[in-house]
Amino acid sequence: MLLYEFEGKELFKKSGINIPESQLISGSVNQLISIKAPLILKAQVLSGKRADAGGIIKVDRQQAVGDNIKKLFNTIVNGEKVENILVEEIVEVEKEYYLSFSYSTEIRGPVLTFGEGGSGVENKDTTKTYPIDILKGYSGENVSEEFKDIAQKLWEVFTKYDCELAEINPLVVDRQGKVWALDSKVILDDDADFRREEKFPERNLFGRASTEREIEARKIDEGDHRGTAGSVYWDLDGDIAVLAAGGGGSIVNMDALLAFGGKPANYTEHSGNPPREKLKKLTKIILSKPGLKGCWFVGGTANFTDIYETLMGFVEGLREIEPKPGFPIVIRRGGPNDKKAFEELKVIGRNEGFDFHIYGRETPMTSTAKIMVDLAYGKQLSS
Amino acid sequence: MTEKKKMAILVNEKTKVLVQGITGKEGSKVALQMQNYGTKVLAGVTPGKGGQEVHGIPVYNTVAEALDYHPGINTSFIAVPNFAAFEAIKEAVEARIPLVNILTEHIPIQDSSKAIALAREAGVRIVGPSSIGIISPGVGKVGSIGGDDPRGVFSKGSVGVISKSGGMASEVSWILTKNGMGQSTVIGIGGDILVGSTFADLLEEFEKDPQTEFVVLFGEIGGTYEEEAADLIKSGKFTKPVVAFVSGLFAETLPQGTKLGHAGAIIYGEKGNYKSKVNALEEAGVKIAKTPDEIPNLLK
Repeated sequence: MLLYEFEGKELFKKSGINIPESQLISGSVNQLISIKAPLILKAQVLSGKRADAGGIIKVDRQQAVGDNIKKLFNTIVNGEKVENILVEEIVEVEKEYYLSFSYSTEIRGPVLTFGEGGSGVENKDTTKTYPIDILKGYSGENVSEEFKDIAQKLWEVFTKYDCELAEINPLVVDRQGKVWALDSKVILDDDADFRREEKFPERNLFGRASTEREIEARKIDEGDHRGTAGSVYWDLDGDIAVLAAGGGGSIVNMDALLAFGGKPANYTEHSGNPPREKLKKLTKIILSKPGLKGCWFVGGTANFTDIYETLMGFVEGLREIEPKPGFPIVIRRGGPNDKKAFEELKVIGRNEGFDFHIYGRETPMTSTAKIMVDLAYGKQLSS
Repeated sequence: MTEKKKMAILVNEKTKVLVQGITGKEGSKVALQMQNYGTKVLAGVTPGKGGQEVHGIPVYNTVAEALDYHPGINTSFIAVPNFAAFEAIKEAVEARIPLVNILTEHIPIQDSSKAIALAREAGVRIVGPSSIGIISPGVGKVGSIGGDDPRGVFSKGSVGVISKSGGMASEVSWILTKNGMGQSTVIGIGGDILVGSTFADLLEEFEKDPQTEFVVLFGEIGGTYEEEAADLIKSGKFTKPVVAFVSGLFAETLPQGTKLGHAGAIIYGEKGNYKSKVNALEEAGVKIAKTPDEIPNLLK
């Protein structure tokens, strides 16, 4: 989970990292600002490069604070609406640095990155990355003397809260030689949520609030550890509903759908043999979107997911959609009990009037992407 | 006609398995599958359930105890919940079991990092986490790969397969089998950010294996494991033909940092994207398949 600057700074503060005096204000409330001008207004959005998009405003005069706050709340920064603003005291910056801890696939462990910083640091060659022995931990190596303390405290944040990334950019030294974290970028490892006391509200990287469907879909796995379904769910702009199987195969199939000109209405996947109730719920969610021209239930040959169970869950969900879906439904799957599933689907399709096009493991998974696109957008299939 | 010396890698007739988490739903199911496929499963571990039996396999409270009674164990299969995974892996590594295959998904990255470091120190090979398993068709399997009956999808032959995705390991093997190309060993390395065995690690094993004549890699955006494999090939340490499929082009239309099915399939900036991987692999002489179905043609 990517944290907002103010959330990351809360964690920094807990570990004793020096951050500017600040106040968080939200858009809906008229609050008394406790920070005195000159001050800085920072839009709390998830995208980087806020300054270029007008998301950071320096305000010199007290009288201009209120108007600038209003202005910032009405700004869309890189596609995201500004819901919160962090008001901070100004720090007189002498020099800017970059400091972060993250995991590297090159060494398969944690690394420290340190060097000259500031905006645009990704494009400069001024930082160096150092491997860390996770079994020994980090004790201030590879940074200049003045930063040893803050580096160790950032390492504590990184490990104590199970982060994928803990970054300070810029890390600054002021005119008096004091060290500050002027910004914060923290990505928490969601897989460690079970052992992290601090909880943060759900957020969306698309720069918009989660849709109702996304919220509903992501609830399906809550409290039920049998397989996964719907935990990864994104509403997209198109008109072909997608219910994919397998984390890896789903990405392959989406690649194929896009390559053939299909416009997905959503992205979601299920795997690990989820029970039929989960598939029913997920199906109802994806098919609740209006204006669909097709539905694609696709996956590879499963190792242990029961194909009969998952397809029956799909059918149960399908039956509850009103009005009854008249668009083509292309199904391609393989795995345990697939033949039994297909036999029954053929009967159900005939008796209940669903336009099923069923393909088993003999048909390449990705070729059903073309079949789906042709059927959905009106091309006749050659017999 | 020369007799081809069959070998396969990691899993062979000498494989003797310990199942950690054997009394759980997945552990129990996979233990039975392995037995049915002819793999020797000697014992299982679930703390507190020592003395029980699962499918005729004796259960012990600790790995050390299981090894006392069954010193021939050389492989551990781990199917315990994510919050218990690190302790289970640590036990297996401390006991110096040479091969540890981890099915468990959603292990915290800090735990994976520690487990990988411990295994390195102990000279233990980890495959996983989030691994569908390892199968040497016609010989044996570890993990849930192939399900109850792998014979429908996997056949014995000379193609090694290394895949980040479990489902795609099956799909690719099925495509190969359909085209009369059997597999020597198929390995799911998992799609996590940090993995115990990378493509490069396993290519080194395939290089030494007389049964393997070709290798297929199923890669995905995120991380640098495909690039690492390309470097190994360029350095001359892997000399057999390689075909690769890299998935995730679609993911590049989503905002940076969007999580997909696999923890590792996240791109930040330029690193780990589709182009970077395909370029690196092509420079190493690897043929890139545009769809999985192209793979057999590129191998010929």
